Amino acid sequence: MDRRSFQYSAYPGPSAPDARPARGEHGFWIWFLQRISGVLLLFFVLAHGAITHFVPIADVRAGLQEDPVTHEVVERRLAQGAMLAFDFALLGLALYHGLNGIRGILMEWPFTARHKTAVTAVLHSVGLGAFVLGAAGLLAFVL
Amino acid sequence: MAARLRTALLHPGVPRELHARTRVGWWAWALQRVTGVVLVAYLLVHICVISTSILGVATFDSTLSFVQHPIFEALNIGLIAIVLYHTFNGVRVVLFDVGIGLRRQAAGFWACVALTALGVVASFILSVPLIFM
Repeated sequence: MDRRSFQYSAYPGPSAPDARPARGEHGFWIWFLQRISGVLLLFFVLAHGAITHFVPIADVRAGLQEDPVTHEVVERRLAQGAMLAFDFALLGLALYHGLNGIRGILMEWPFTARHKTAVTAVLHSVGLGAFVLGAAGLLAFVL
Repeated sequence: MAARLRTALLHPGVPRELHARTRVGWWAWALQRVTGVVLVAYLLVHICVISTSILGVATFDSTLSFVQHPIFEALNIGLIAIVLYHTFNGVRVVLFDVGIGLRRQAAGFWACVALTALGVVASFILSVPLIFM
């Protein structure tokens, strides 16, 4: 195993630049998309925390509602198309970034090529299943 | 023993000579992995909880009032700590990619820890009415 095997990791210190795949090399796009989705999630997750946790807390404090999150509150929020689109984007990005990160860790195990394909297929299934479940959950508020 | 366990969990199949040499950088990296795995586990549970909306208003509201028990609101602070560390260290790593902060990576790690601590204190103050009422 050589330094290339670290290409998916956020490896620390001076070894990081060696481990980064160059453009055109195998693994570059997976590495690059992990960075892009991460930077996007920086904004999405912090906004999600503010909108779904801290704003409702302020509403509880102001006496507008009893619990921060109820069906009524979420339904009112998701009736705005922008919020629904935001949640769909967050769902997809978080699942992609998270499961791709898990894949990066698992690919460091000395699996055979066949087993690597199988692991990737399992992660794709988990991601797809969770996306469908989450999407159905979100649509249940607006349909 | 601890070192062998650490290697098995965090450096599977990686020869010892390729492990990171800098202690602080290793901790930053290991924490990024552990918080990442925890966040994926949380994400999957979170999707299941929110998707109870499929089963109707009553099921959703009873599930949500269960997960809004003061104990869970207190555990939420731990989740916020994990999210914030993963976010700040993620920024630190992306900055490495554009050549910023590599030489002062240890200071960068402590900055991440400090920002996380600051965020945790702030969210604790904001969450007080949910935890103690």
